[in-house]
Amino acid sequence: MNLFQIIREIEKVDPEIMDRLTHRRSALTALGDISKKMALAAAPIAIGSAFNKAMGQQTLSNVNDVLNYALLLEYLEEDFYAQALSATTLSANLSTGSAALGAIQTIKAHETAHVALLKSALGSAANPRPASFNFGTAFATYASFLTFAQAFEDTGVRAYKGQATKIKDAGNPNNVLTTALQIHSVEARHASHIRYMRRAAAAGSISQFGWITNAESNGAPAAVYGAGNPAATFPAEGNVVQGGLTLTSVGGNTYTAAEVSEAFDEGLDNTTVVAIARSAATF
Amino acid sequence: MHLTSFLERTLQRRSFLRVAGATAASSALVLAGCGSDDNPKPTNTTASLTFSSNDNGLLNFAYLLEQIEATFYQKVVDAFPSDFTAEDKAAFIDLRDHEVIHREFLRFALGGNAYDLSLPGAIIFNFSSFTLTTRAGVYAAARTLEDIGVAAYNGAVKRISDAGYLALLSKLSSVEARHAAFVREQAQPGSFAGADVIGTTDGLDIVKTPMEVAALLAPIVPLTLVTDGLTNLS
Repeated sequence: MNLFQIIREIEKVDPEIMDRLTHRRSALTALGDISKKMALAAAPIAIGSAFNKAMGQQTLSNVNDVLNYALLLEYLEEDFYAQALSATTLSANLSTGSAALGAIQTIKAHETAHVALLKSALGSAANPRPASFNFGTAFATYASFLTFAQAFEDTGVRAYKGQATKIKDAGNPNNVLTTALQIHSVEARHASHIRYMRRAAAAGSISQFGWITNAESNGAPAAVYGAGNPAATFPAEGNVVQGGLTLTSVGGNTYTAAEVSEAFDEGLDNTTVVAIARSAATF
Repeated sequence: MHLTSFLERTLQRRSFLRVAGATAASSALVLAGCGSDDNPKPTNTTASLTFSSNDNGLLNFAYLLEQIEATFYQKVVDAFPSDFTAEDKAAFIDLRDHEVIHREFLRFALGGNAYDLSLPGAIIFNFSSFTLTTRAGVYAAARTLEDIGVAAYNGAVKRISDAGYLALLSKLSSVEARHAAFVREQAQPGSFAGADVIGTTDGLDIVKTPMEVAALLAPIVPLTLVTDGLTNLS
């Protein structure tokens, strides 16, 4: 299947298709990345996501919806690390006693704890775990595994952040907001460490620290760092304007866009987050 | 190079009554903006900084935290430990930049409500409880400060009433967590999300009330931080 050939065909009858697709910011870039770097089998779902995104944004209507959305992401992350830990392709890098294995086991244990916590909070309202998650070629190499891990963790941070005001608006029942923020910062710690692990030669010697510079994806789907919907509420990670102030020049000092973008993480709407998840995994 | 303009800035003495977000009261505050030969030691331990029970109080609290972090990192960047690697230096310049930007952003957000407008100069923070001459000491200090930052934001954000400020503080809080993971790992390999900060059964990060945070900041800030009002916010 040639995704771009299909788009070229559509272009013949709808010359504005590219504009409309790229208007969704990085959705199309994500498709490009995914079709090359990730499981081709996931591509049809990704296409659906790109078009669905047009109607997307925040669609969760109550706190239980938010918690079930969080639960889905935690199911995904937990399963992702569980599969990684049993993947023979990764056993040389995640060897017994290695720092890498310890880190991934720690992260996996947190995701398992988050699943249990969210299921407990939801009680009978908890959605069941999807039958399976297919991460395509994610575990083919250590570098690929960590690239996917970075994508999921950075997306997780954006996902929880994107729901903070929604939970507050709902009256913060049972102090759910603080719990969500406590998960949010754990995901950020994970993201930071996974990013740091990618600096290792075996992981591709990616020159980055734990923070997100501009909207640089370093091999992860560009949509992870792109704008959500509406973009005014959920700008791309390269955003340098906060609370109406362009922070590249403030207080008599100037700062680079890279520095400013690193200093702030951005939220994402749930529709964009789920589209990203479905572009990277079939479930 | 972003020298701490905050420290260099000479502030005008202004009426304490102008400050809505926090009030400082003391006849002998120990402040910068004086000559370098002034005695930096507190001369009046009863000096206090009271945070009001509203969004301005919370923003001022976050502003104080970011001032402390920015000052700390600037201090390290100004005199790197001799055993700092090139990677350490690059990371600390990033960390300094992020915290300075956070501080400047919060100062802007507070405008006329910034607590320090009423002070004759900047507070001199006391980092003497840390060892800043060695790599291990610096990373241990950074770990302490970043973990306090994560716990403070996790405790403060739900207390914010304005949705815009809530969203903004959550944008800062995850960056503090990213910092924390990095400096913790450097301080002690394998501890980026250690059991001392992340619950092993619930997988939840640390959270502290403003009052608990104030107690942790006590060795650093030469003012008594009065945070009852913030802590009582739900």
